[in-house]
Amino acid sequence: MEDATRALGKGTLPPGPVPEGLIRVYSMRFCPYAHRTRLVLRAKGIRHEVININLRNKPEWYYTKHPFGQIPVLENSKCQLIYESVIACEYLDDAYPGRKLYPYDPYERARQKMLLELFYKVPHLTKECLVALRCGRKCADLKLALRQEFCNLEEILGYQNTIFFGGDCISMIDYLFWPWFERLDVYGIADCLNHTPALRLWTAAMKQDPTVCALLIDKNIFLGFLNLYFQNNPDAFDYGLTC
Amino acid sequence: MRFCPFAQRTRLVLKAKGIRHEIININLKNKPEWFFKKNPFGLVPVLENSQGQLIYESAITCEYLDEEYPGKKLLPDDPYEKACQKMVFELFSKVPSLVTSFLRRQNEEDCYGLKEELWKELNKLEEVLTNKKTTFFGGNSLSMIDYLIWPWFEWLEVLELNDCVDHTPKLKLWMAAMREDPAVSALLTEPKVLRGFFNLYLQNSPEACDYGL
Repeated sequence: MEDATRALGKGTLPPGPVPEGLIRVYSMRFCPYAHRTRLVLRAKGIRHEVININLRNKPEWYYTKHPFGQIPVLENSKCQLIYESVIACEYLDDAYPGRKLYPYDPYERARQKMLLELFYKVPHLTKECLVALRCGRKCADLKLALRQEFCNLEEILGYQNTIFFGGDCISMIDYLFWPWFERLDVYGIADCLNHTPALRLWTAAMKQDPTVCALLIDKNIFLGFLNLYFQNNPDAFDYGLTC
Repeated sequence: MRFCPFAQRTRLVLKAKGIRHEIININLKNKPEWFFKKNPFGLVPVLENSQGQLIYESAITCEYLDEEYPGKKLLPDDPYEKACQKMVFELFSKVPSLVTSFLRRQNEEDCYGLKEELWKELNKLEEVLTNKKTTFFGGNSLSMIDYLIWPWFEWLEVLELNDCVDHTPKLKLWMAAMREDPAVSALLTEPKVLRGFFNLYLQNSPEACDYGL
């Protein structure tokens, strides 16, 4: 995997300029937002390099890439920086040829963007569940709220009668949702999908997608990362790297 | 709704692109039941076309209009410039709720705290104009991002928050330049009408949305 490199922390030298013909993504192997961008890079076959950032020990130079040191950030060979995961994904779809992940039709494009609005509570709720469970707290209320969000998404799939959120083929909106669904199991909340069969079918279909497959994170490695992360171990981000 | 800043974004784009349209105002203090079929969230603005397609969320409606209709493109063609406009839009994202909080403030302490927060956010926008060295947020001509953020700046005068741009001279110049734009000036609301609306709206009056008619 292109992103199997050590996370850079304080005291590291800033990387050089991005060579022409390549785009760089500043990332972290387990971050769901950066995962979106890596899915789009892969799906469109865009030549890229990944620089992982140690999010608990950020290099000083990284704040020249993003004012608050967040990931993901794209950097191209013209030194242009693009951040916010959704903006980065749209930029890649616009700037690079080949398969378009957003539809061409303006109304269908708008529909995908409206669907993204429906999704906005999911990242926060899944994270809160993870933190609660890791800290030994119950999270019944949070899980209930998450199930409600999943019901809303289930309704969309039911109404559309399609496998994917954009129609019968996978498209941008599916990739934008996917990272959080991939994490449900390792976060310990996969049972939140118990009452949403269409959404379960969707996750099964997603796991068949070559791009999703290629970037799937091994469950044991993810668990190893989570263990170290919740112990505040700064080496967490490199867990599972063999080099 | 005549005074909704989010809906004003859409009306600005409709005007700027010369798109023939009709307006149905919704009483936000007494929503018709049928409106929830147009937008399950019950919010304005919502676009509806002759194919029965519904589009909501103000920024999404604006982008849809720009893509669907011919004429002057408000969003740049260049992918990076387009991404820059969206990044500026994110930078602006805290302003609407701060301005609304200011409107709803209860006392003077709230006032100062909110003003400080607003200054902070406006400084971010000033920095963009400083770095770009252009009059508008998308370059030397007015474009989508300027229309998207304008409505709250129109409110600053009415809310007596003009001093919030005293330390942001480029933003002040931008505001003056915006008022020269035909679409912006065509949609300006008289300050006393806006004030009248605010008073009634804060009292939760169902007549608020029709103030001045």
